[in-house]
Amino acid sequence: MLEQQLINGLTLGLIYALIAVGYTMVYGVIQLINFAHGEIYMLGAFFCVTLITAAGLPFYVAMLMAVICCALCGILLDIIAYRPLRRAPRLAALITAIGMSIFLQNLALIIWGSRSKPFPRASLPAYLSEQALVMGQVGLTWLQLFIFAVAIGMMVALFLVIHKTRTGTAMRALAQNRTAAALMGINVNAVISFTFALGSAMGAVAGILVAVYYNTLYPTMGYTAGVKAFAAAVLGGIGSVPGAMVGGVVLGVAEALGAGYVSSLYRDGVAYAVMIAVIVLRPSGILGRAAIDKA
Amino acid sequence: MLELNRVQAFYGTIQALKDVTLTVRSGEIVTLIGANGAGKSTTLMAISSVVAVGGGTIVFEGRDITRLSTDRVVALGITQVPEGRMIFPALTVLENLRMGGYLRRDRAGLRADEEHAFQLFPILKERRKQPGGTLSGGEQQMLAIARALMARPRLLLLDEPSLGLAPMVVEHIFAVIARINTEGTTILLVEQNAQMALQVAHRGYVLETGRVVMSGAAADLLADPKVREAYLGDGT
Repeated sequence: MLEQQLINGLTLGLIYALIAVGYTMVYGVIQLINFAHGEIYMLGAFFCVTLITAAGLPFYVAMLMAVICCALCGILLDIIAYRPLRRAPRLAALITAIGMSIFLQNLALIIWGSRSKPFPRASLPAYLSEQALVMGQVGLTWLQLFIFAVAIGMMVALFLVIHKTRTGTAMRALAQNRTAAALMGINVNAVISFTFALGSAMGAVAGILVAVYYNTLYPTMGYTAGVKAFAAAVLGGIGSVPGAMVGGVVLGVAEALGAGYVSSLYRDGVAYAVMIAVIVLRPSGILGRAAIDKA
Repeated sequence: MLELNRVQAFYGTIQALKDVTLTVRSGEIVTLIGANGAGKSTTLMAISSVVAVGGGTIVFEGRDITRLSTDRVVALGITQVPEGRMIFPALTVLENLRMGGYLRRDRAGLRADEEHAFQLFPILKERRKQPGGTLSGGEQQMLAIARALMARPRLLLLDEPSLGLAPMVVEHIFAVIARINTEGTTILLVEQNAQMALQVAHRGYVLETGRVVMSGAAADLLADPKVREAYLGDGT
């Protein structure tokens, strides 16, 4: 029972973590909570399903293309909505982010309708719905393993991009001191676009995985997931990428344990209680580095 | 090489630069001295296009750079070591240096320049894997200069390199500035320490509330009674 809850929580947590890194990276470079990030996640799921049903593409190809489309949407979102406000007070950009969230949600409602859709399971490779491992009462499906592999693979890739590439280092430099970064010859807007693309791609992957996992997608699915992932990012320490990963997993596990042992009605309540506790005890988050990054 | 022609700049509604006209010729060290708030740093930030220019023109090697973006200005060969050093605190010393060479693609040249930087400042080699934020003030200043040199600038803008440093360290920094210049880099130096600045520079400009009020050969300014009284601490 406990093992099963842990597996479910880990699955959910890795998905939260994928979304949370998008919040935290964008916050790192432009100190903006991109509330429309949840909608990019939702678009990822819809793009993928549309590419499968309307264009007849195989699952993996559709997934890859949907992720690329979302990366481009992220860049466009920044250029259209946030770039003109770069020198404006932060509150203006924040309200714009909420506005873009509502706008994208309603755009999706117009395009795809308000009814939730099932994921076209026929397009999925057959093995995904089989049990990979059964030990007593604990079961692990191939789909869960697929989610683990993709999520962990994406995180490792993200870590390498941030720490081993020139653009990734420029991203970290920009997050630490924008003026100094510009004085190095770094094209600040290009690096910000890159950050949006990277975060949006991760979010899109999460959206697709969730749609497959729960076998459903709907235009407002980005809202709750977005709020939860934002909570995970804050929990881990906003601005810290490893923090977002840890925060996502902690939140997912807390939620699954809360649902399993208390009541599934308290699922969200337990998650938020954990977040509040961490924020009260450690305001900069689990891995938040208040001092050195801003010195 | 660089010409500022009646440059004006504003912070909001406050006019920080009213009329700055100055010239830097290839191969020179030119210094800009003046009291706090005279507009010295703003002048450098206007050249680097971090502060928008509200009037006048800035011409670099015959090309109008007044409205270029900061990264374009750097690409043309003007690099700045900003006031307060602005080291990336969570990047290692080596990563800080790599960011200095961000626009360059010649790997071999970059490697060679890293070695050159470590020759100028051997302490940086020892600390190359440490986060920049853990360095002392003097080491950070060395790193800031080394980082700027990684771009192979033709014109180096230096803002208050002596600020907050012990006299011994200041001596070292100024010796390196002179050496960088003899190795072929033109320098525009902003300093509160007018004595040191005028000793190392060829020419100087005196800035007062956003205007150039005096200029000339560094030796002449150093001997000028008005300069001595206002900026070199020769009280009456």
